[in-house]
Amino acid sequence: MSSLILKRSFNRSLLLSQKSCTGRQLISSLFSSLSELQVKSPPSSGLRDFPSLDQNYKFLLSGFSSFLLKTIERPPRSQFRGSKRYLSSRSSERCRASASGIGILQRDNSGSASALLSRVILPYDSNKDQLHSKRFCMFSTETAVELSTSDGLTVDRIVASNWTILDESESDWKSHAAAISQSIQVVKRRLQWKKLMVRLDLLSAELNKPDLWGDPVHAGKISREHGSLMAKMKEVIAFERELLEHIDMIKLAREEDDTELESESLNTLLRMRRNSKQKELEALLGGEHDSCPCYIEVQAGAGGTESMDWAKMVMQMYKLWAQRKGYKVTVVDEMPGEIAGIKRATIKVDGEYAFGYAKAEVGVHRLVRISPFDSGKRRHTSFAAVAVIPILGDGSTHVQINESDLRIERFRAGGAGGQHVNTTESAVRIVHIPTGITATCQNERSQHMNKASAMAVLQSRLDQLEMARQAQMNAQHTQSLTEISWGNQIRTYVLHPYRMVKDLRTNYEVSDPDSVLEGAIDGFILSYLSASLDKEEVYH
Amino acid sequence: MKLISSACSVVRIPSLYASLYRPICSASLSSSPSSLKPTTPLFLRPPRFSTSISDLHKWHHWAKNLASSVGASFVQLDNGPDSTSLRRELRWLLEDSLEDPSLIYQLGSQNYAMDVRLKAPLDELYVLWRQRIEERRPFQYIVGCEHWRDLVLSVQEGVLIPRPETELIVDLVKDVALASGESKEGLWADLGTGSGAIAIGIGRILGSKGKVIATDLSPVALAVATYNVLRYGLQDMIEVRKGSWFEPLKDVEGKLAGVVSNPPYIPSDDISGLQAEVGQHEPRLALDGGVSGMDDLLHLCNGVLSMLKPGGFFVFETNGEKQCKVLVDYMENNNPGKFFNVNIVSDFAGIQRFVTGFINNKSS
Repeated sequence: MSSLILKRSFNRSLLLSQKSCTGRQLISSLFSSLSELQVKSPPSSGLRDFPSLDQNYKFLLSGFSSFLLKTIERPPRSQFRGSKRYLSSRSSERCRASASGIGILQRDNSGSASALLSRVILPYDSNKDQLHSKRFCMFSTETAVELSTSDGLTVDRIVASNWTILDESESDWKSHAAAISQSIQVVKRRLQWKKLMVRLDLLSAELNKPDLWGDPVHAGKISREHGSLMAKMKEVIAFERELLEHIDMIKLAREEDDTELESESLNTLLRMRRNSKQKELEALLGGEHDSCPCYIEVQAGAGGTESMDWAKMVMQMYKLWAQRKGYKVTVVDEMPGEIAGIKRATIKVDGEYAFGYAKAEVGVHRLVRISPFDSGKRRHTSFAAVAVIPILGDGSTHVQINESDLRIERFRAGGAGGQHVNTTESAVRIVHIPTGITATCQNERSQHMNKASAMAVLQSRLDQLEMARQAQMNAQHTQSLTEISWGNQIRTYVLHPYRMVKDLRTNYEVSDPDSVLEGAIDGFILSYLSASLDKEEVYH
Repeated sequence: MKLISSACSVVRIPSLYASLYRPICSASLSSSPSSLKPTTPLFLRPPRFSTSISDLHKWHHWAKNLASSVGASFVQLDNGPDSTSLRRELRWLLEDSLEDPSLIYQLGSQNYAMDVRLKAPLDELYVLWRQRIEERRPFQYIVGCEHWRDLVLSVQEGVLIPRPETELIVDLVKDVALASGESKEGLWADLGTGSGAIAIGIGRILGSKGKVIATDLSPVALAVATYNVLRYGLQDMIEVRKGSWFEPLKDVEGKLAGVVSNPPYIPSDDISGLQAEVGQHEPRLALDGGVSGMDDLLHLCNGVLSMLKPGGFFVFETNGEKQCKVLVDYMENNNPGKFFNVNIVSDFAGIQRFVTGFINNKSS
């Protein structure tokens, strides 16, 4: 893409210069085009003939392929329109923050970036009344950089312009651009853009500490998180940049009556528009462990058989939901009730983003119905608590478990055992003595496998405990989701006297409880996830 | 003498049911019964049969009701399985019978007319489940396999179904074998191997030079153990030999790095009161340990002194606390100074189950 723009704008610069430009302008526009290809040392002797040039054009090429870091003083607009995008920075504070961002480059691309440092020109003396007159453009982890088109359009400005959003089938670039811009704002909000940037700066600072690798576990964690946040940020910025580039392209194409170029860019915008909804969805699942598989646990509340039956219905709802999503479901542990239902059960849900979705279900689920277990046909209210535990991947740091801290018990064993007994029941309970946390598995066909399965549950529970502890310690990391306690009632299912399922957190409601209990809960999950992320503060 | 008479009972019991499960054998094996070819476990048979989901659902419904009707009656009778355990077994039976086990979740849903591929004909599943409930035929014989540790072992009438407790013997060996390179590459013996469970478990943790000799007196056990060894590709590491205890091991006397055994240890008088699945179906040869239950344990105890090399390791499974104590006393009093580091190890139910120890370096 950038090479295409480069070629086009290069041609255009030549074209313009042939028409009306002075030689000086020709050189400057040529220079601006070439600058994407190679780093130039601006105050070079060959350019001394043009007195203002060394002040006017200073170029910096960042370590990131297509990012151009440059300072431009009053660019001759007619030449540059459609040829470059500018990143602006409007205050000296931001420039300082940006400069710290260069420090990161220095680390990532040790050789070249450190040399670049000296050439960053901070526009302290900028002419602030002219917003676009002075552009300080650089790549950093700070939000100070704001992408714009050649005539100063930014995503925010596009949204603020309230362009009418027409149907996708209408070939209107403004409509596409407005829809995409809205999505970019949603994505940024969901990623908690501002917090993300602060966190990235923090991580970068951490990565720059010379003694970082003294603790390889910590260092690994930091650099993994840095890498993953960086990737998220880069993806959004690339998307934003692509949008603005194509807006420039369309304008350029119109000026030149290049219909081929125009429709090409228009098609790209349409593709981006279709893509953007998916990006909004993905941004909902941007949490550190969202992509992990997970355990879902359901525990019956007080109230005997009626609430045990309810717990079973809730568990069934999750099994069916997981099946719809194409996840693999394994029952790990199930404690049946005496007459009906379950006292508690644990299932393992395996598949992409299982935890990211299921975490929205944590809390107490309430049922109101006429109990089939009550001969008096009275209305009952029952509760079932749901917990969701991520199963961290091999790349994550797990809590170290000492064998000596464990007590392993045969669950529900009785009698003499050994050769006396033939049983297919080989449930195992593992107790982690220091924390008192236990895990049970009884659905595997051998004791060995039950033990392995229970061990995995125990590991995840201890990992979760540790994450909660760290989250408390680290205010940066506090998420509303981890704060939800077992006591929070999140949803009510009413089967009588009327029929409705309502989420108490979002007020999202559905009038068909049967479909919900058959696993149609994505509406609840998505509305909760978006509500909990979208209510966040303005992103910059 | 005792061994011979109990071996007869091994033959007698399966013959009672031979007419009932003969079709399973003939479905996968064409050979005559006398050649002692082991039965292929249900889950390994080709899915040559088919039925509609609705018929399978009907069977499942019937089987579930039959399981539920048991309630706690077997528990009260002889500490047998309750209906929850039976329903779980039913799910596993279905899992082993279906070509695509994920269809279990679709039972009772749409696509009623759809056909499913089965590894046994549906009418046989009726027969099998009736045997499970009405005759208390062990579930493991029904499906022809037992999941043990991370293994799936073929089992059939005439072979003891390996118990969950016995899994720990492999862990105990692991602790020793991995601690010393010499043991890891040494020669081990599993006496009275039955299905070959312990031998295979050990074979998989020993080093490339390690070897296991598995012995048994029962021809059925030998055939099944050989089958299982082959299935795990361990034929170069595990040698199956016929004979009683140390008899077939004369050539390796004093050379063994370790001896493990789960010998019969139930006192003869207790056999009649055993849970139906055990007492009426499993081989008495593998259960009856004489009047005190310790005939074979004491025999093994004496044998290891000459069979193990100095510093060699042994693990024996016992009936519980009482036998463990007697065995430890016996070692200390009858052969003072010859054993060392003798330990009693409990199983996960907290019952003292194993006696482990080493032969003294100076003993020979």
